[in-house]
Amino acid sequence: MNTEEKLFLKPKTLKEALEFTASNRDGFKYIAGGTDLLVNKYQGNIDTGCLVDLTGIDELKQFSVKDNLIYIPALTKLSELKDNIYIKENFPALIKAADSVASPLVRNTATLGGNLLCENRCLYYNQSEWWREAVGYCLKCNGDICIVTGTGKACYSEFVSDTAPVLISMNAKIEVADISGTNILNLEDIYTGDGVNPVNLSKTSIIKSIVLPMDKGYRTIFKKLRQRESLDYTSLSIAVTTDNSGNVVICMSGVDPKPVVVSGNNHIDYEAMCKEAIKNSRSVDNDMLSRKYRKEMIKIYLQQCYDELFG
Amino acid sequence: MKQIKLYINNKEYDFLVKGHEMLSTVIREKAGLTGTKLGCEQGSCGACTVLVDGSPLLSCIAPAIRYDGARITTIEGIAVNGELHDLQKKFVEKGSIQCGYCTPGMVMSILGYLNKNPNPSSNEIKEAISGNLCRCTGYKKIIEAISEYVSEKNGNALPDKKKKAESDSEFSVVGKPRSYIEAKKKVKGEAEYADDIRIKNALHCKFLRSTYPHARIVNINTAKAKELPGVKAVITGKDIPISFGVLPISENETAMAVEKTRYIGEIVAAVAAVTEEIASKACGLIEVEYLELKPFFEIEDSLKDTGENEKIHHQTKLNNNIHKTAELRFGDQEEGIKNSELSCKLDFKFQGLNHAFTEPHAATAYWDENGLTIITATQVPHYLHKYLAKVLEVPMNRIRVIKPYVGGGFGGKSDPFPHEMIVAHLSRLTGQPVRVRLNREEVFLTNHGRHPTKMTMQLGMGSSGELKTLDADILIDGGAYGSFGVVTTYYNGVLLQAPYNINNFGFRTRRVYTNKPQSGAMRGHGAVNSRFAVETLIDELARKADIDPCELRLKNFLDSNTLTVGQFRITSNGSAESLKAVMERSGWKEKFGKLKEGHGIGVGCGFFISGSALRIHWNEYPQSVVHLKIDMDGRVVISSGASDIGQGSDTMLAIIVAEVLGISVDNIFVLAADTLLTPIDLGSYSSRVTFMAGNAAKMAAEEMKSKILTAVASEFKVVEDELNITNNKVFSNDKSVEISWEDAIRIATKKNGALQSGGHYNSPKLGGDFKGAGAGLSPSYSFGALVAEVKVDVETGAVKVLNMWGAHDCGRALNPLAVEGQLEGSWHMGLGQAMSEEMRYHEGLLLNGNLLGYKIPTSLDTPEFDTTIIESIDPEGPFGAKECGEGALHPSIPAIANAIYDATGVRITSLPIKPEDILNGLKLLKKKKKNFSGVK
Repeated sequence: MNTEEKLFLKPKTLKEALEFTASNRDGFKYIAGGTDLLVNKYQGNIDTGCLVDLTGIDELKQFSVKDNLIYIPALTKLSELKDNIYIKENFPALIKAADSVASPLVRNTATLGGNLLCENRCLYYNQSEWWREAVGYCLKCNGDICIVTGTGKACYSEFVSDTAPVLISMNAKIEVADISGTNILNLEDIYTGDGVNPVNLSKTSIIKSIVLPMDKGYRTIFKKLRQRESLDYTSLSIAVTTDNSGNVVICMSGVDPKPVVVSGNNHIDYEAMCKEAIKNSRSVDNDMLSRKYRKEMIKIYLQQCYDELFG
Repeated sequence: MKQIKLYINNKEYDFLVKGHEMLSTVIREKAGLTGTKLGCEQGSCGACTVLVDGSPLLSCIAPAIRYDGARITTIEGIAVNGELHDLQKKFVEKGSIQCGYCTPGMVMSILGYLNKNPNPSSNEIKEAISGNLCRCTGYKKIIEAISEYVSEKNGNALPDKKKKAESDSEFSVVGKPRSYIEAKKKVKGEAEYADDIRIKNALHCKFLRSTYPHARIVNINTAKAKELPGVKAVITGKDIPISFGVLPISENETAMAVEKTRYIGEIVAAVAAVTEEIASKACGLIEVEYLELKPFFEIEDSLKDTGENEKIHHQTKLNNNIHKTAELRFGDQEEGIKNSELSCKLDFKFQGLNHAFTEPHAATAYWDENGLTIITATQVPHYLHKYLAKVLEVPMNRIRVIKPYVGGGFGGKSDPFPHEMIVAHLSRLTGQPVRVRLNREEVFLTNHGRHPTKMTMQLGMGSSGELKTLDADILIDGGAYGSFGVVTTYYNGVLLQAPYNINNFGFRTRRVYTNKPQSGAMRGHGAVNSRFAVETLIDELARKADIDPCELRLKNFLDSNTLTVGQFRITSNGSAESLKAVMERSGWKEKFGKLKEGHGIGVGCGFFISGSALRIHWNEYPQSVVHLKIDMDGRVVISSGASDIGQGSDTMLAIIVAEVLGISVDNIFVLAADTLLTPIDLGSYSSRVTFMAGNAAKMAAEEMKSKILTAVASEFKVVEDELNITNNKVFSNDKSVEISWEDAIRIATKKNGALQSGGHYNSPKLGGDFKGAGAGLSPSYSFGALVAEVKVDVETGAVKVLNMWGAHDCGRALNPLAVEGQLEGSWHMGLGQAMSEEMRYHEGLLLNGNLLGYKIPTSLDTPEFDTTIIESIDPEGPFGAKECGEGALHPSIPAIANAIYDATGVRITSLPIKPEDILNGLKLLKKKKKNFSGVK
């Protein structure tokens, strides 16, 4: 445990934040809402001596619409998405997904950007320091074996963002600011599929906004599997989107270390797409619901999405 | 450290806070506003909710520095000049507050939500509080309070549905719905729970817990920990090695592991230090050398001969880990089943459960000229008193146990606990007060919850639908220690001999030790799982015989005033009334067998003891004693050892005494559960308090009344029998005497000063004289029934419980509001066990020791409860009252499972009910159908 004086910095501008972090590459962690991070910290999975709070930065709160593109600021609280008329009219599934995250209390603090970067989860990882010592540290906490699979090959912690599947299924891009400037990336591309390091953004970079095109005529169905109707993380979240050219994108979380994405040009291909989606999800028994059941539900949920979209 | 400014409840504060300190800590520890509660510290229970600029915030996951300059409102800022906010008034009035621990967070959540949406629908209200877990109320009365507040605020007052004519009641206090006497204090966040009480100069205690399920302790090196600045004491098992356990027959637990550890999470060492942080750090510096022993995790492993391997406890009789076998037989079950017209045999499996009360265990201990005082969240001050004396080797007259407000128990605070022994000893060692607060994970490890269970049960029925033979073979997983386990072993069997008349009945229960946190007593103790099995078998037989399952039950209920096969004395019995009530309320006849596929209705019944007739510790002291004192001021002080843990027992005592003395409850003060000041009551377990302490209070009040009337009669030279007290007045039938209560007390106290009286209760001698006859004996039994309606998604197996109609015979509802609250809370807990709650392990290590993984149903998962109180007027209960806090749970789980059967044809034999199991069941049915049509 780090016993030195712990820092909590609250920069007012992006520049201030980036300049600080560029010169303290390892010794910090960004915090937005913190509803995920602080629980991980409480459990000892994050042991940083310095938190850099982004919630005071106005540039991360600027909503805009330009050239048929909507820029949703990363600091938008999950509970605020429904207040935005553009989102309400064009991307209602995003609101549905956001409203399915945790509980209303969490959504009142948690941000959209934070939800995209929500740490992967596993029953054998999201535990106290003492617990992880008792089980023998796993791959995700610097151990050399995955407790679930009993091998040292890979970490299968689940990607659990509920908003990411909806956004990715609508080809969302993100504006990422770093000391060198701002880049536009495909949201899908930041996820590595490695349970230990699930995101490939550089440690200092900050998601500024989430960008969605408004002229594609997206229609999305979102479904989430969880045991309770509130509080719970996802055991399977599915978004299926079609656009006005008939393209179909399936994106799922909760069943793989990264979002599982399958695209097709026409909904006639849907059955094959479903098969691929099931094949591509590398879920293991690290959730309160069994792997077998979650796998089975992928098929059912995908069918239900199809029926609602095209039926 | 950073200086920040907070405006809390309109007061400006300057705090020096640490970089990563949470707002909840600042509010509780630095501002001293302990109305903000900690239940999980991980944002999953909502108890810590405050408002920041009017918007709700989980303060346990909010870095304090972020809120520099912010306007914060805590529960203490809601009432203005002592006047409750209208919403708080509704919470009080509607009985929305039981233990009160979730209340502040609940109130803050909804107030914050209403700032944004002042006129929410009922569904929106449910959604708004779905991040706030309540374990007591089933949310019903909370939602009612909010709905009424909202309606009135928006100018649409709801018609008061429940107003009954009250004038014809024979009582003036009994039977009137009444909020708890302490409800206002709780809703204002002023009620102090164990961790809210600050004793000056207290040290903090933390524990080092075993990471091995079964291991010899070879060596413990505490040197480095002791050297850490700020550490005052480090102790290990050898420092307080005397064993304890709530039952004298299994006192096999020690405060810390002495020679070996028996579960992952057992306390191995403890530290007292000036701060929590230092204490934690010191725990990390303790080095323990273990020698691993073969662990036993599953019931099956523990049944077997251990061979060369070391047993968990050397005291077990044979070379295995069977702790206790209980077997009773009345008649020949094998023969009985053989001769049955119809019979059914099923295997059942139940996961272990945790009470998951919202307030984690906490205690503070200190020593002074009077010896030890410990303030602790307990249901059993007396047993703790006894065992502190034993373990610390101090006479009982040097120990004082104080129970403050307790945030729920449900059996989970009904044992003496290691942490209580440890802080008491650490305080003695250091000469300073020592406080401890368990985190949620530690609460789960402490456990003492419902036993994981496996059983085979068979039930045989005669040709005209009479239940004839019941045979059960039950295995329960006790975990590492005894706790209440011997009682649980018996209860699993003996509590099957009612509510039905079954004369050929037998069971065998075996409790085994395993290397897991110990199991113990939990709401509905011992009989919940076996009740599930019986009610399932009855449903199955009814289906086979094509009889309505309600009708089948009605045909088989025991009468009132009868004996069961094992000689339980049944007096009042509202079984049939309960079942008929839920049939009517649910529209059973219109629905049963008539709902579409995927939509079903099911029923269950149950019964429970109203206090155990036999005491745990054999002595001749009464089971409950209550004292009354009235001084010149006219106020009545009730002094009772009974422990109000949120179930309302303090209010119950006040009601009884007020009724007898003919005065208002406002004129009564309840002094409870302080072993220095109050006479002994055995504690709040086995649903004994209303019956036993209630009777003791009634007796004390009657004696007091007689004293007062004797004095008045002598003063006015009238016959005592002519006098009575009602409405705070003492009067004679001819009205020649008519004086106020205060005047009467002045007369009664003028010669000898303050009046005193005492009452006590002892259960009558009951039961047969065979071995095991004592288990399950009670002076009275409660009865109940419940109908559940469900919808099952046949594609996903997901179940939605739509409605639960429950009825419970509580003898007489002394306080109908409290009775309803107990019933609804029981049904909610049943819903949890049915649908989502379980303690899941990985090689002895609990996988879901937090409120995210341990799934208490939220407001959105909880259906409407329809609540009916049945009053059978018990001949021996105080004013006819008996238990209502546990028995109501029993019928709820099988009712849900039977409804699933009705909806799908899938028979549920394993809890919690998993959608996966339903899907598998459906597949099997499909296959069978196919095969059947194939044959055709």
